[in-house]
Amino acid sequence: MIHRSGGIGPHREGKAKPFESHFRGRKGEVCIVDTTLRDGEQTAGVVFATREKVRIARLISEVGVREMEVGTPWLCPEEREAITEICALGLESRTLAFCQAEPSEIELAAETGVDAVVISAGVSEIHLRKRYVKGREWVLDKVRAAAEAAKDKDLPFIVSAEDASRANVDFLLSYVVLAEELGADRFRFCDSLSVLDPFTSFQVVQTVLGATDLDVEVHCHNDFGMATANSLAGIRAGAKFVTVSVNGIGERTGNAPLEEVVMALKHLDQVDLGITTRNFRELSEYVARASSRAIPVWKAIVGTNVFAHESGIHADGVLKNPLTYEVFSPDEVGLARQLVVGKHSGSRTIQHKFREFGIDLSDKEANQVLLEARQMSVDFKRSLFDKELMYIYQDFIQRDERRKEVDKVGVMDEDDD
Amino acid sequence: MREIVSDQFPNNSVDDEPIKVHIDDTTLRDGEQTAGVVFASEEKVRIARMLDQIGVYQIESGIPIMGGAEKEAVRQIAAQDLNCSVLAWNRAVTSDIDASLECGVDAVAISMSASDIHIDHKLKQSREWVLESVKKAVLYAKERNVYVSVNAEDASRADMEFLLSFARTARDAGADRLRFCDTLGILDPFNAFMKVKTVMDATGMDIEMHTHNDFGMATANAIAGIKAGARFVNTTVNGLGERAGNTALEELAMALYYLENIDVELDTGKFRELSEYVAQASSRPIPAWKPIVGANLFVYENEKRAAAVLRDPENYEIFPPESVGLQRRFILGKYSGTSVLKMKLADLDLELTEEEAAVLGGHVRSRSVALKRSLFDEELLDLYREEIGMVRDEVNQLLSEGRDVVADGVVDSLADLSEVSDDS
Repeated sequence: MIHRSGGIGPHREGKAKPFESHFRGRKGEVCIVDTTLRDGEQTAGVVFATREKVRIARLISEVGVREMEVGTPWLCPEEREAITEICALGLESRTLAFCQAEPSEIELAAETGVDAVVISAGVSEIHLRKRYVKGREWVLDKVRAAAEAAKDKDLPFIVSAEDASRANVDFLLSYVVLAEELGADRFRFCDSLSVLDPFTSFQVVQTVLGATDLDVEVHCHNDFGMATANSLAGIRAGAKFVTVSVNGIGERTGNAPLEEVVMALKHLDQVDLGITTRNFRELSEYVARASSRAIPVWKAIVGTNVFAHESGIHADGVLKNPLTYEVFSPDEVGLARQLVVGKHSGSRTIQHKFREFGIDLSDKEANQVLLEARQMSVDFKRSLFDKELMYIYQDFIQRDERRKEVDKVGVMDEDDD
Repeated sequence: MREIVSDQFPNNSVDDEPIKVHIDDTTLRDGEQTAGVVFASEEKVRIARMLDQIGVYQIESGIPIMGGAEKEAVRQIAAQDLNCSVLAWNRAVTSDIDASLECGVDAVAISMSASDIHIDHKLKQSREWVLESVKKAVLYAKERNVYVSVNAEDASRADMEFLLSFARTARDAGADRLRFCDTLGILDPFNAFMKVKTVMDATGMDIEMHTHNDFGMATANAIAGIKAGARFVNTTVNGLGERAGNTALEELAMALYYLENIDVELDTGKFRELSEYVAQASSRPIPAWKPIVGANLFVYENEKRAAAVLRDPENYEIFPPESVGLQRRFILGKYSGTSVLKMKLADLDLELTEEEAAVLGGHVRSRSVALKRSLFDEELLDLYREEIGMVRDEVNQLLSEGRDVVADGVVDSLADLSEVSDDS
């Protein structure tokens, strides 16, 4: 059942490798390269209309992302029109077009007015043998020809190594060295199939940086859920550029999400890129609609549930001090905190909720409302709306009033409460 | 050229024994604790049985002290005669542990905050009180002969010296393992590795990783902990859990196997089925792009990808779709070329020449752009019937102008796949 061939990622042969090493971090200036409009749209089933592409480009530029990949010119005339239109906007962000290592594609890109092109070729032995059915020299020649075409058009170019994480290391390094000789702006390392973990990601980026003076960009996919971690590991190893997409949309499981990478850099690595993060939720919502891919409520950073607290212990903690269960404030990413009442709620949440409604509940009252609220949540298999809490309260008050009435005339003999 | 530094990296000696990692799934506890999620008791029992069939080591079944339906569900799960261990969650309070034991579970997790921010602001207690509570609760549980995991809540933000005292207190009272909780998901894999290694080296305890996904790194952090020596991992199906969720069972298992050479010996072919069930029971649909189990993972539209996968799936797949209960599919859309088009029409006994395929491919892309989505197979057939005449006229026109239709139609220009024969 195993599909594996030689590459940088760990090998199936032999036993698991224990890990012992020191990873000296090199955290400095990082440039975000957004590919929502290219790799994002390349997702099977996703198509943006030109006006959506233009809007997304504006929104991405407005949050302060410095580079964006705006499309793949060879695809079709509609794509080239969209790219041309975006380039004509004169946005702050630098625009890139994605091309295979083919001079004709570079020429199509040149007509759109992009600031630079990405020249991409698969470099793994698997791609050489099974996709191209060609040798290593053939790929190097293709890149040379494409680079010449870019130079003819005065276009800066980035040399991208597709499936680099499964490549033979020696060949990968000769590919990088060629890119530098050809005068590339930088080198893009693609973990196209997500075969890296953060430690191997650090390792390969450091290896590449040891072989070239070019800047390195890390481009990670999320097939095993580690795109963000692998991107950050690459940055820790010295990569100065990182590819992201809004909501992480992209081929299969997608790319490293813009919002995760930026917030992790800011709050975990103390690298603030000056991105307008409070626009993140809005940007995510727009891309979600345009791509017909709703944001899951639990999506890291921008999901509506990430600041929703139900469990009694968590809600109580947040009410006492948000830092007990929150790393950053919800408004920092354009969200709001919510206290949700359900099966796992505690009485403090109930009291807090009712104070918002202008009602002070005693501990005893809060406990009684809580018991009913929990039962209702179990019965309905969901949390409760605020209205439903009020219904419980009204029922409870009415019952209580009625009981007081009954007690007064001494008819009912209650031995519990 | 600078020296290549790759030998600084983990090409270390290889262990004699394969690493054994134990999965402790908490879909039924931390998963259900997600705001808005409630499982019915029957659903809980069904999920427990499915997890057991897949082969997890332990199930965290719920919080018995909550009473009512929750306690009854734990009792039912413990009575299922499962192969796996059944664990219940507790605060460091004897009444919680009594409630768990009444349910017949064989293991308890005793949870207590380890960070000062929690101790000062949430518990409003002292560090001494914390240690004393842990000690009492562990002694109480161990006297009653159950397996004890001590959960160090918010361990990732704890003062390391205090965390070590916390761990030693638990160990000396007889705890079987320490759960290292990254409650807020603030670790990165490098910090996770260092912290877990520090605790292991200092205390010699078995460590369980419990990581959250607030910055999208739950799986990576769990793996980092395993690399540091942790041998237990707390997972949830679909990564369900508080806020952004926990480490996803399916991501962890597949990443361990395919990236780290660690086989957790699960029946992974049932992953999609399990994920679907939990998605329905939690009313949280699986996004099409969810790692490992998303419906979109083995769907190919892009011509270069599709052609390469038709040639050999290894070009773009690390594991085959069947290994997680999914299927490979090819669709037509804006990024399509001729490979899938020809394949789909050939299935309907409609043969196209290269030139016709190239021109019809252009029509497919335009239709997809106009509809803003990919095309259904029925729509392809309609398109073919309506436009094949036009396509043939177009081909003749282009050929009479001496144009290279296939190249202009922009098939895979980097590799001329048509000239390639089978390769071994």
